[in-house]
Amino acid sequence: MSIVAEHEYQAKDYKSDLKPIWCPSCGDFGVVSAIYKALARIGRPPHEIAFVSGIGCSSRIPGYTTAYGFNSVHGRALPIAQGIKLANPDLLVLVAGGDGDGFSIGGGHVPHAIRRNLDLTYILMDNQIYGLTKGQLSPTSPRGLKTGSSFHGSLEEPVNPLLYVLSYGAGFVAQGTPADMSGLADVIEEGIRYPGFAFINVQSPCVTYGQEEQQLRVHKQKMQSLKDLAHDTTDRLKAMALAQEYGIKLYTGVFYRNPEPAATFETAVRELHDRLVPEARLRVDILDTFRPQ
Amino acid sequence: MRNDLIIGMAGSGGDGIVSAGESLMSALAREGYYAIMSKSFGSQIRGGESSCRLRISTDPVLSPGGTLDVAVALNWEDFMRFGSELPVDGRTVVIYDSNTKVQPDKLPLTEVRPAVAIPVPIQETARQHAGTDKAKNTVVLGLLAGWFKLAEENVLAGIRRKFGKKGEQVLRGNERAFAAGLEFAAAHPVDLDVVMAAPKAANGKILLLDGNEMCAAAAIFAGCDFFGGYPITPSTEIMHFLSKELWKHGGTVLQAEDEIAGIGAAVGASFAGKKAMTATSGPGMSLKTEILGLATIAELPLVCVNVQRGGPSTGIPTKSEQSDLFQAIFSAHGDAVRPVIAPISVHDTFRMTVEAFNIAEAYQTPVILLSDQEIAQRKETVPAINTANVHVVNRRLPTRSELDNYVRFRVTDSGVSPISHPGMKGGNYLASGIEHNEKGAPTAKGDVHARMNEKRIRKLIPLKHRRDLFVIEGDSHAPLAMVSWGSLAGVASEALERARKAGMRVKLLIPKLLYPVSEEIYRDFFREVKAGLIIEQSYQGQLYRVLRMYVDLPRGVQSLARSGSNPILVEEVVSRLQQLTLDLQRGRVPEPEPMLG
Ligand SMILES: Cc1ncc(C[n+]2csc(CCOP(=O)(O)OP(=O)(O)O)c2C)c(N)n1
Ligand code: SF4
Repeated sequence: MSIVAEHEYQAKDYKSDLKPIWCPSCGDFGVVSAIYKALARIGRPPHEIAFVSGIGCSSRIPGYTTAYGFNSVHGRALPIAQGIKLANPDLLVLVAGGDGDGFSIGGGHVPHAIRRNLDLTYILMDNQIYGLTKGQLSPTSPRGLKTGSSFHGSLEEPVNPLLYVLSYGAGFVAQGTPADMSGLADVIEEGIRYPGFAFINVQSPCVTYGQEEQQLRVHKQKMQSLKDLAHDTTDRLKAMALAQEYGIKLYTGVFYRNPEPAATFETAVRELHDRLVPEARLRVDILDTFRPQ
Repeated sequence: MRNDLIIGMAGSGGDGIVSAGESLMSALAREGYYAIMSKSFGSQIRGGESSCRLRISTDPVLSPGGTLDVAVALNWEDFMRFGSELPVDGRTVVIYDSNTKVQPDKLPLTEVRPAVAIPVPIQETARQHAGTDKAKNTVVLGLLAGWFKLAEENVLAGIRRKFGKKGEQVLRGNERAFAAGLEFAAAHPVDLDVVMAAPKAANGKILLLDGNEMCAAAAIFAGCDFFGGYPITPSTEIMHFLSKELWKHGGTVLQAEDEIAGIGAAVGASFAGKKAMTATSGPGMSLKTEILGLATIAELPLVCVNVQRGGPSTGIPTKSEQSDLFQAIFSAHGDAVRPVIAPISVHDTFRMTVEAFNIAEAYQTPVILLSDQEIAQRKETVPAINTANVHVVNRRLPTRSELDNYVRFRVTDSGVSPISHPGMKGGNYLASGIEHNEKGAPTAKGDVHARMNEKRIRKLIPLKHRRDLFVIEGDSHAPLAMVSWGSLAGVASEALERARKAGMRVKLLIPKLLYPVSEEIYRDFFREVKAGLIIEQSYQGQLYRVLRMYVDLPRGVQSLARSGSNPILVEEVVSRLQQLTLDLQRGRVPEPEPMLG
């Protein structure tokens, strides 16, 4: 996305009057603040931003911004966001939602969003639990986790969102946590600036139903900056190796950034239009196509 | 001389019977005849049995017609697989390949003896003159052109255009095969009135297309800018046409990963300010249901086409049925009312598709356009449509002053609130599937919920007064009435004409708006009615049941309904009307039959 700041915006310009319904200290407060900050640095006016989500505690997030928001249905944020972006490629389109929303019910849409490569930024608010429905297994819950729906402990392996999107060829993959607010704002900003599909996994603790070891105080001790590790963000295989440790280690920062971003879907659409629109008959004459030969 | 001729042909997939029908049809269209051609296939992807039914007339025709005047069987197994779709009776001329070794008096037809049965060495002639079985359909064209005086010159011109590209040898072979068919017909005259009258006049700028193509073209005309969908029989041709043409108009076609994503992307595009459409059939429709509800509560315009096929589940993908009416009307959870409209012909698909967009945009609602396989996949000659008279509606955008203090879901007198879209300064709002107040803020308050439900439903009430979405024909004071919809409306309309010619007092109502139900229009229509038929292609008689739910139907109004792939024929409707007329004369009001299920 080529971004020209038209005038100075501040984080508060992106904050709406709606009071979040989240539990006090929910990680999602940190995510939305980081988004305000990142958007202010980018400087697009709120009315040129579309912010799409599904359903879940986390999916309430668009309403807390001044952007055009779309709090849709469970699992379908990505298709809706793609329709918006295709309808108006000039918009800055953000997508956010929970791990259940994105990788369980909506999981089938992720590979397709990646391979189409529209210029979208997808922020997964990963709390390894279903918050809104009051504590059931999520696709990222660790094996053995006891929840309302896994009374005797989960019998399933979790999905690894980072490895998943890297394997499908996402051009930008990063991770953050509200335990490191400035790092989180940085990766969101970078993701938005990346010209193509960008995925940011945010470890956003659920303070009410989440596990002890997923809380911010644990994140603070555990997190390790990829920059400090001198990770080469252009090396996809290395990024995948680090992503393998999802659930064990908590790396923050950019895992992978394609040094030569692939052409986006919108670009291909524009080229097709440039080629085809000049040969079009008028819409009112469309029926002439059907004169018998 | 005949003014109307119905030809049914069947063969196996490779026999090119459908392509012969198409060639004949376009020759006849150029000649000035009116025609309808429906195709029917077995469920094999390639090879299986295929058939077409071509009706030719000197006047506009509304239905594929009933019993065949001419039946062509390239082999009997395939012909018989179509059963009641290709009905033969004592007036039918049967032409079949003599290589089937069936004697003319021993045709494998159940309980009927056709007027004549003519074995023709079709395969042998093709081999002899063109050196290939592939020319069998060309021999058939020669036979038909010869016996029935059907556009010989134009058919030949069509053959030349079609095979001209395939090299000298193929072209000459087909020309010879065609000539051989003509000669055979000349040498074996049929002693029956089978010759088609000349067309009345060149019928102007005629179009030749099927319902799916018409739907897609009308969408472009209506200003559609976005299509999101997933392939499914029998709706896919809508996507095919748009994938070729919509881009030229600056639009976008997305083949989504599933039907949910297809409608999701369309809703997204609509949110972003574009006219958007999705199209599918039964199973896909089931998947789209949740997002249709989202479009209802978020008040986003959207056209969702359902080309009905046999159901439930995979059902019979290749055959027409009208059994998704309940689904269209009632499948939403919550108090979601969404307009359902149905075209009655290929021609009418133009207006109804534009209407679907107009209603969607005017009322900010999803609209279900309920087509069916019969209309969607049959080709019709359509007289030129004067598009200058067709009105296109765009959504009501907020004015500058409305944007100063923008309230997206403001409860207005009409219930319709001005709608902004991303990029519009001051119009920022939250669209949501969660109940919201007028400003778009999520809420769980009962009073707000009730008020917003009221608004969303009230805004659609003007539709109930749209008399232009209902066709009423026949004798307005008749005691006998028919109601029919979708592709069956043509059958009813023709039955009406015949019944009136036979002296019956009868009338017909064709609703193109199926939901919301216009109680008043039905009430007026049924006021003096004593008996009648609700005619439709579904086992349960879904429209009949919907009407019983909303309208005080006279007791003598019965359901004439049947599962798809079992055509309801004009003759049958007329004889039911005759029976009802007798009943009424004897002072008997027929009892409604008990309903199963
Ligand atoms: C089709 C459908 N199925 C189920 C639900 C119920 N539901 C709402 S949110 C949710 C999961 C919430 O978890 P997640 O997506 O991880 O988000 P979180 O609440 O943790 O932020 C479920 C199962 C729904 N709203 N829609
Ligand atoms: S339930 Fe968990 S995820 Fe939901 S708001 Fe509360 S803390 Fe946050």
